Amino acid sequence: MSNFIPSGDGGHTGWRAAVQKLGGNLAGMVIPNIGAFIAWGLLTALFIPTGWIPNEGLAKMVGPMIINLLPILIGYTGGRLVHGQRGAVIAAVATVGVVVGTDIPMFLGAMIIGPLAAWVLKKIDAVLDPRTPVGFEMLIGNFSLGISGLLMAMLGYSGIGPVVKWLSEQLGAGVHALVSAGLLPLVSIIVEPAKILFLNNAINHGVLAPLGVIDSEKLGKSIMFMIETNPGPGLGILLAFWLAGPVALRGSAPGAIIIHFLGGIHEIYFPYVLMRPMVLLGAIAGGATGVATFMLLGSGLVATPSPGSIFAYMAVTPPGGHLVVLLGIALSAAVSFVVSWFILKTSKSTDDDLAAAQAKSRKLKTGAAE
Amino acid sequence: MASISGANVKRITVACEAGMGSSVMVAKQLAKKLKDQGVTVTHTPVNQLVAADQDVVLCHRGLGGRAKQALPDSVIVMFDMFLGDLKVAQMIHDIQTDGEITGD
Repeated sequence: MSNFIPSGDGGHTGWRAAVQKLGGNLAGMVIPNIGAFIAWGLLTALFIPTGWIPNEGLAKMVGPMIINLLPILIGYTGGRLVHGQRGAVIAAVATVGVVVGTDIPMFLGAMIIGPLAAWVLKKIDAVLDPRTPVGFEMLIGNFSLGISGLLMAMLGYSGIGPVVKWLSEQLGAGVHALVSAGLLPLVSIIVEPAKILFLNNAINHGVLAPLGVIDSEKLGKSIMFMIETNPGPGLGILLAFWLAGPVALRGSAPGAIIIHFLGGIHEIYFPYVLMRPMVLLGAIAGGATGVATFMLLGSGLVATPSPGSIFAYMAVTPPGGHLVVLLGIALSAAVSFVVSWFILKTSKSTDDDLAAAQAKSRKLKTGAAE
Repeated sequence: MASISGANVKRITVACEAGMGSSVMVAKQLAKKLKDQGVTVTHTPVNQLVAADQDVVLCHRGLGGRAKQALPDSVIVMFDMFLGDLKVAQMIHDIQTDGEITGD
């Protein structure tokens, strides 16, 4: 049908689907809770000693929210995905074990123990349900959850918490080694192509943001939040497609720019890149430019800007950081625009016009497209 | 290939990764266009698709593999562009004129 757009094989079920699925599950635990992250981010930006209106009393909420509330919400949501309301409840109980076992925000730990505890309860329920006598459902249900929840919390405290803490420290040390060696922009070589394969949520919410909150809690900001979420590279690409892309795509580019840059839905530019995969070079160059700018000028955000809209960016930028953040976004958009524009101009082939003509004729035939 | 005739399409689910971003946007657009046909359009994460919930699933080609894995027998229409996609336009047209909709 749509052979005019050779954007990969929709029937794939291989590694990409598997990684996407894992990432989808990680993101599925975080994304429903983004509102709570925003509340925490705004609270932090406003009331910590370096914030807009420092307030010692209100700033007391910052610590408990990031250390306790957010991981427990993530664990709860993860449990709910596995085993409904009962899974959610046991996951919240178990996550407390992970949370008090350490002094860093335990997002990764919550993402492990939450679904695990719910899965264990699901297995227990499968055994007990058929054997429960009539009238004892509530008693057995409550106590099976209570007792297994206690045990999972203990496991979280003594087993999973310390392991994840060690793992987070290693990951964090690795990232900081990259930063101090000045190599962090190279991360864009992995991140930008992975985004286009719809791994954007997995990378940001599964890996980068959990590292970012550790920094943010200590230092009041983190560059980790800016690596995947920068709307600059996508803006540059869409501008390039608008001015120099295949004719059939130019019309939709301005609308896509609004949705991408202002609305923060980055997915909208992925299809354009999938159609001209060479444009990935523009995304990588733009992404790396942004990261380099943020790194050299010591920029950071207090929380993850989600969705990656310019408005979300401005809201979670700490006081005094706005010009640098805007500069980084503008530079990455400019670089990605120039590289993408050049690629689109030079790779222009006759089949473009053919495809456009085909598309046009099909449009006329069906009379339905706009 | 699973298929369905346009007049029988009453419920469409748009799936995306998180079920809260791009799918909501596509669903809103679609609902507006299919209001006169009485079609309900909802959105969901691709991991939480349930076969009985809809007549047609709509998702981006990049997530098509997972949608197919989850619902091998459902009509799954995969699109390439979030705005102005020809296949989506074709599907709307088929629903309005009772054409045959074949999944990918």
